[in-house]
Amino acid sequence: MSAVYQAQGIVVAAGGRRLLDGAEITVRRGEVTVIVGPNGAGKSTLLKVLAGEIAPARGAVTLDGVPLAAFSPAALARRRAVLPQSVHVAFPFTVAEVVAIGLPAGAGRSGRVERALARVDLTDFATRTYEPLSGGERQRVQIARVLAQLEAGEGAGYLLLDEPTASLDLAHQMLVVRLAREVAAAGGGVAAVLHDLNLAAMAADRLVALKDGRVAAAGTPEEVIADHHVATLYEVSARVRSVPDGVFLLPQSIEALPNRESDVPLSASLPDRPNVRQRDTGA
Amino acid sequence: MDGKGTGRVGRARHRGRRAVLLACALLLAGPAAARTVTDARGRTVEIADTGRVVAIGGAVTEILYALGLADRIIAVDTTSLYPASALKDKPNVGYMRAISPEGVLALGPTLVVAAEGSGPPDAIKVLGSASVPFLVIPEAHDAEGVVARIRLIAEAMDVRPAGESLAAAVADDFAALAALRARITTPRTATFVLSAQGAAPVVGGSGSGADAILQLAGIRNAMSALKGYKPAVDEAMLAAEPEAIIVMRNGAGGLSDEALLALPAFAGTPAARAGRVIGIDGAYALGFGPRTPQAARDLAAALYPELALPALPPRPWAQGAGGGG
Amino acid sequence: MTRSATAGLAVCLTLLALAVLASLAIGPISIPPARVWEILWHAASGGMAQGRALREAVVVLDIRLPRTVLGLLVGAGTAAAGAVMQGVFRNPLADPGLVGVSSGAALAAVMWIVLGAPLAALLPTFVEGFGLPLAAFLGGLGTTALLHAIATRDGRTSIATLLFAGLAIGALAGAATGLMVFISSDQQLRDFTFWSFGSLSGATWARVLSCLPFMLGLFLLCGMLGRALDALALGEAEAFHVGIDVERSKRFAIAGVAAGVGAAVAVAGVVGFVGLVVPHLLRLAIGPGNRVLLPASALLGGALLLAADVAARTLASPAELPLGVVTASVGAPFFLWLLLRRRAALFG
Repeated sequence: MSAVYQAQGIVVAAGGRRLLDGAEITVRRGEVTVIVGPNGAGKSTLLKVLAGEIAPARGAVTLDGVPLAAFSPAALARRRAVLPQSVHVAFPFTVAEVVAIGLPAGAGRSGRVERALARVDLTDFATRTYEPLSGGERQRVQIARVLAQLEAGEGAGYLLLDEPTASLDLAHQMLVVRLAREVAAAGGGVAAVLHDLNLAAMAADRLVALKDGRVAAAGTPEEVIADHHVATLYEVSARVRSVPDGVFLLPQSIEALPNRESDVPLSASLPDRPNVRQRDTGA
Repeated sequence: MDGKGTGRVGRARHRGRRAVLLACALLLAGPAAARTVTDARGRTVEIADTGRVVAIGGAVTEILYALGLADRIIAVDTTSLYPASALKDKPNVGYMRAISPEGVLALGPTLVVAAEGSGPPDAIKVLGSASVPFLVIPEAHDAEGVVARIRLIAEAMDVRPAGESLAAAVADDFAALAALRARITTPRTATFVLSAQGAAPVVGGSGSGADAILQLAGIRNAMSALKGYKPAVDEAMLAAEPEAIIVMRNGAGGLSDEALLALPAFAGTPAARAGRVIGIDGAYALGFGPRTPQAARDLAAALYPELALPALPPRPWAQGAGGGG
Repeated sequence: MTRSATAGLAVCLTLLALAVLASLAIGPISIPPARVWEILWHAASGGMAQGRALREAVVVLDIRLPRTVLGLLVGAGTAAAGAVMQGVFRNPLADPGLVGVSSGAALAAVMWIVLGAPLAALLPTFVEGFGLPLAAFLGGLGTTALLHAIATRDGRTSIATLLFAGLAIGALAGAATGLMVFISSDQQLRDFTFWSFGSLSGATWARVLSCLPFMLGLFLLCGMLGRALDALALGEAEAFHVGIDVERSKRFAIAGVAAGVGAAVAVAGVVGFVGLVVPHLLRLAIGPGNRVLLPASALLGGALLLAADVAARTLASPAELPLGVVTASVGAPFFLWLLLRRRAALFG
C-alpha cells in the first residue's frame, strides 16, 4: 500500500446529526495538506478521526497502509504527533518537562528536549514554569513538544495541527506555518486545520475544503480558493487575486457592508448555519 | 386530682388558649399537698401530682419499680432495661440522650424524673421550663450516691417511708458487700473494655462508672491512669498487666472472647494467658440503682472464685439479675 | 532524573528511616533504643528472649514492629493514592475519597458495627477479627465500582461525571451512615467515631499481610503510571497524542487507588489529610513530575503517618489520641500556611 495517511468515507455522528458524512482526506509525505471550511463543517472532527481520537461509525483510516485501529496508542505516537490549539497544563511543570512529555516511553532524552527548544528559540526558558507564560510562548513550547515527539519517533512521521494559530499574533502564526513547511521539507506529512484562507494558501500544498461534513472542493490552493468555491463554502462574496507566490483572498469590499444607519441586524450578514440547512443542497 | 384528669390537661396544651385557661383552673384547684424538692442541678422543683410519671434513665425506672410505684409510670426510655416488663408494658420515649420534648409532653405527664446526663441539653431546657415539673436525679458512683438517689425519688414521689426502707436495705447490701470485699487480701487488676472494634480498645478510666463498679467489687482498675472512657494505647494496656478483661455482655463490638484476646493490646496480658474475659450486663453493672451491690458482688465472685463469696440476701428488686461468669 | 529529584528522594527516605526508628523506639513502655536494636537483631538471627527481656521483646516484636510496618504501608499507600488521584483528576485538591472509597468504606464499617453482630456469629473464627476491615474494604471497592460504572459510557470514563456522581454517592452514603448512627447504641457510636478518625491499634502481622498485596499492587501501578500521569497533565486528548492509553490508565489508576485506599481504610480507619498534604508539599519541593513524585509521596507519607502515630500513642498516654486527629491538626494548619505563603509569592 501507498505510504500515505488516509481517511476515506468517514461518517461520524453525534447527538443525532452527522458531523462527518463521507468525508475523505489523503495526507502525503513531503506535503502540507490544509483543511478549510466554515464553522461546523467538520474540520476538527476529521482531524480527530485522523489522530485516532474518534473512531468513525463508518469509513477507513489507514497510516502507511495499515488500519489505524491496528496501532496501539504508543505505536501511533511514534508515527504521528498532534499540535492542539492551546494546552493548559494542570501542574507547575517546567518548560523542559512539558517538552519531555512528548518523548515516547523508553526514548532517551539525549539532548532532544534542548534541540527542540532551540528550534523555537526557547533555550533560556527550559527551567521556567509553563503556566505563567504568554499564549505565544506556550504554543512555542507545544511546538517544541511535537518536534521532540516526531524526532524520537520512527522515520519522518506525520504532524496534525488543529487550528494551531487561533489566538496567536502574526509572528507566531508565521512560526506555525514555518514549522509545517519544515516538517514537510524533512519528508514528513502534515495535515492542518486552518481558519484563515490566506494563511492556508501560504502554508498548503493541497487544500481540502469541507462543508456539511463532506468534501466540497480539493486540490491546490489556486484551484480551491476560487471565487465560486469561496462563495459556496462561506456564502460570502469575495474576490481572489493572484499574487506571485499563489493566491490572495479579499472578502467582500467594505462598501458592501451595511452602513451604520442601516437597521439590518448584524447577524443578517452571517450565512445560515450550514448544518441547519437541508443537506441535499450541498451534494 | 387524679392522674387521668391532669393527663387531659397535659394534652390540652396543644389546643389553644381555652385549654391553657382550663389547665390553670385545674392546677389552682389541685390539692394543697404540693412539695418542693431540690434536684441534682440545685433547682427547687415543685411537685403537686405524682400520678403520671415519665422515667428517663434505667436507675430511675429501677428505683420506681423497687418502691412499688410501677403503676404511676406512664412511659420510660430505652435504657430502662430492668425490670424487663418496663419497656414491654410502657410507652417508650426514646433514648435518654436523645429525648424529644414534645414526645414527652404529648404523653401528658405530671412529673418527669430523669437521670443526670439525659439530653440533649436543649430538650432538657425545654422540658425544665415547661409547666410540668422536671426532676434531675444526680449521678451516683458509690453507696451514698445510690442511697441519695433512692431518697430523692421517694421524696419527690411522696413515699418517704417506703423510700427509707428501700434505702436502708440497699445500704445494708452495700455494707454486706464491704464485708465481702474485706476478705480480698490480694486485689487483682482488671480492665473494663467498653468496645474494641474499629480502633484502639475503649476502656473505663478513673471517674467512669466502670471504675466505680470495679472499686465496689474490690478490683483494681488497670487503666485508672485514664480519665473517663478513652481508647488505650495497646502497649500501655500490656504494661498495666490486667488479670481479667471485663466486657459488657454482647459488648466489645460483638467480638468473641478469642478475637478480643487476640488483639495486640491484650495478647500479651495475664488476662489473655489465663483466658479470663468476664461478661457482665451493662445496665446491671453500670446502672447504679438498687441492684448495684449485687452487681459488684457478682463481679467480685467472678474474679475471686477461690474466695467462694456468698450471694447477698435476696431482694425483690434484684431478682433474676444476671451477672458474673 | 534531575539532581533536585534525587536529593528530594534521599531526604524522604531519610525521614522515613527516622520515623521507623522512632516508631520502634518510642512508646509508653520505655525501652532504650539500644535494647530495641538488640531485640530486633536477636529476632532476626532466630533467638528466643527470656524473662524481663521477653516482655520487651513482645512489645517490640509483637506490638511495635507490626504497628510500624502497618503504619508505613497505610501512610505510603494513602499518600501515593492521593498523588495518583490528583494526577487523574488534574487537580491538586483531589483526594482518594473522590472515587467514593472512603464514604463507601465508612458506610460499610458503621453497618458492620451496628448490624453486623448476627453476621459475625456466622463467620469462621479465624476471620472473625477481620469482620470490620473486610466489610470496610468491600464497601469501599463496591462504591468505586458503582461510580466507575456510572461514569463510563462506550468504554470511556468521564472524570467530570465521576466527580459529580462521587459527590452524590458520597452524600447518599453519608445519609445512610447518619441513619446507622441514629439507630446505633452509645457503644456502637463510640466504636464508629473512633474508627472514623483512624487508628493503627490492632496492628497484627495478619493485618499487615492482609493489606500488603493491595499496597504492593498500588505501588506497582504507581511505577507504571508515572509517564501517563505526566501526560494527563496536558489533557486527556494530548495524553493520547503522546502515546498514552488514556482509558486503560484511568481504569488502572481508579482500581489501584480503590484497592489501596480500601485496604488502608480497612485496617486503620479514615486517616485524613495525608493524601492531600504530602503530594502537595512534594510538588512544591521537587516539582510535579510523577515519576519522582509518586515514590517520594509514598516515602514521605509513610514517614508522616508513623510520626503522627508516635504522637498519637505518647502525647496522651496511656490514652491513645485518634490518629486522624493528629494528622489533621498538624496537616491542616501546615496546609494553610503553605497557601498563605504562596499567596504572598503570587500577589506579593
